[in-house]
Amino acid sequence: MSSDAIVTGRTSGGRLLFTTITALSLAIMYAPVLYLLLASLNPDEQLGLVPPSRYSLKWYFALLDDGRLAGALKESALVGLATAALAAPIGLSAALAYRAMTRLRGVFLLVILSAMFVPGTIEGLGLSTALRVVGLAPSWVTIAIGHLLWTLPFAAMVSLIGLSAVRPSTIAAARDLGAGPIRAFVDITLPLMRTNLISSFVFAFLLSLNEQARAYYLAGRQNTLPLYMFGAMNSGASPTIYAFSGAIIVISVAVVALVFAALVGQQSRRPRQAPGETSY
Amino acid sequence: MPREPGPDESAGAGLRPAGFLLALPSLAVFVGVGFIPLALIATWSFWSFDPDTYWIKPAWSFASYAALLDNGRATVFLRTAGLAALTATASTLLAVPAAAVVGLLSGPRRAALLLALFTIPFFTSGLVRAFAWRLVLGRQGVINNALMSLGIVETPVEWLLFSDFAVLMGMVAAYLPFAIVPIVLAFARIEHSVIRASQDLGAGFWTVLATIVLPLVLPGIVAGFLFVFVAAVGTSMEVQLLGGAGASSISIMIDDVLRVVNFPLAFAIATVVVTVLTVLIIIANRALRLSRLFESLGI
Repeated sequence: MSSDAIVTGRTSGGRLLFTTITALSLAIMYAPVLYLLLASLNPDEQLGLVPPSRYSLKWYFALLDDGRLAGALKESALVGLATAALAAPIGLSAALAYRAMTRLRGVFLLVILSAMFVPGTIEGLGLSTALRVVGLAPSWVTIAIGHLLWTLPFAAMVSLIGLSAVRPSTIAAARDLGAGPIRAFVDITLPLMRTNLISSFVFAFLLSLNEQARAYYLAGRQNTLPLYMFGAMNSGASPTIYAFSGAIIVISVAVVALVFAALVGQQSRRPRQAPGETSY
Repeated sequence: MPREPGPDESAGAGLRPAGFLLALPSLAVFVGVGFIPLALIATWSFWSFDPDTYWIKPAWSFASYAALLDNGRATVFLRTAGLAALTATASTLLAVPAAAVVGLLSGPRRAALLLALFTIPFFTSGLVRAFAWRLVLGRQGVINNALMSLGIVETPVEWLLFSDFAVLMGMVAAYLPFAIVPIVLAFARIEHSVIRASQDLGAGFWTVLATIVLPLVLPGIVAGFLFVFVAAVGTSMEVQLLGGAGASSISIMIDDVLRVVNFPLAFAIATVVVTVLTVLIIIANRALRLSRLFESLGI
């Protein structure tokens, strides 16, 4: 496999050292969560691992009876769907604008990405103050407004990467054959962008689902999932919180992995503009 | 090999106003949801607290800025920045070799797989990932159990959890992808032939790395450091879940100030933080043309 790599052959220990550091980095990111997953299968009250023969989904079933959890889940789903339904098309629109721009496209990109760099607490504080002025009461709507700003950079990036693989010549051909700009967009660009649009919807939904700092300032009386979890984590950990954490992680990872696989599959099926060109 | 995409000429000159129209929704979100609220609190940070309404009144004053560093707040600023710098340093030290494995030492399939592994956690719950460290670092956590059963220590090591060390581990694990992605993008911009040529001329791995690769990916390294730093300055959940008793951060401090309804002071702290972070990003962008990194995405 490494025959395709840029650096091949002898590396005087470099490959071993770097691979070790890569493995260490992945371990730091994954090992604690994997441990939590295994510990959540422990049927006993106290924390720790049990042999696989004793694994049980007891605490996961206990989640189903938690009414406050169900309320938070519903609120988060509502916020996430509203956020994603807005972020995906607005992100695509921003990506199309970037492609159509002749000047200031670098500035435009920085402006769109700038929301990534503002701390969530400060964005939440600013927005809740502004919404108070406008007279909009805190609810799932206010959270979704905050999450739209937070997810838009990611949605725009996913659409930009997707658009980069739409050949201008394909659009030009459609135009030469008499299609108007809207017809060319609907018949050529949109079908080619389908996977990317779904991906940016899913990413925006997941980012919203797991966002806590902004929601803390923007939520009304009903907590979202992370707000509920944060409370539960700090009030004496009961085994259900491990099960709940485990469920959230498993679902998120599975969904992202599916989307990544779809994106990679789509990129490799598309014809490339230049041999050896990599996009992402 | 950055492909120069250029403007999308194929769409025809008629798209010029369409380009503007297409930019409108995202610009409206940026201005309405992002810029105006921040400008609003920046303005109101110069107003005064109104004890009659527990809100603020338009009496211009620098009082909040004068009080910015009182009551131990200077320490919180410094500790937050220090811990964020430490997190960014540790993350960058791990990210450069990891990005090199992705960008130099792997074929395209393995590179895609590794990049996916490094980015997937970002889309999962940060809260859960921070919380999981409690199980690893606690008194009865994995590490203490291992140390005790190996006979290395007799009583649990106390400083592992609820300490700056725990916060550091949690933040590195959370924000490492922020360092890896820009460095991988920087690697993608290197001309492969340059590396091949130097190898043909007899340069060994470390020579190629030090004299050719590192200078070329330096903008990515700086961007990675900066992204982790910015994220770590703004976060609060790692400190709240893993930090010691009384541990604070700028975000927690803002919340504490709001609890005593000192709105102008909270606005002042927020304004200072956003200003400093913005200036940092602009300087780095000017010096290193960070926006060019995105060219390797082909956009």
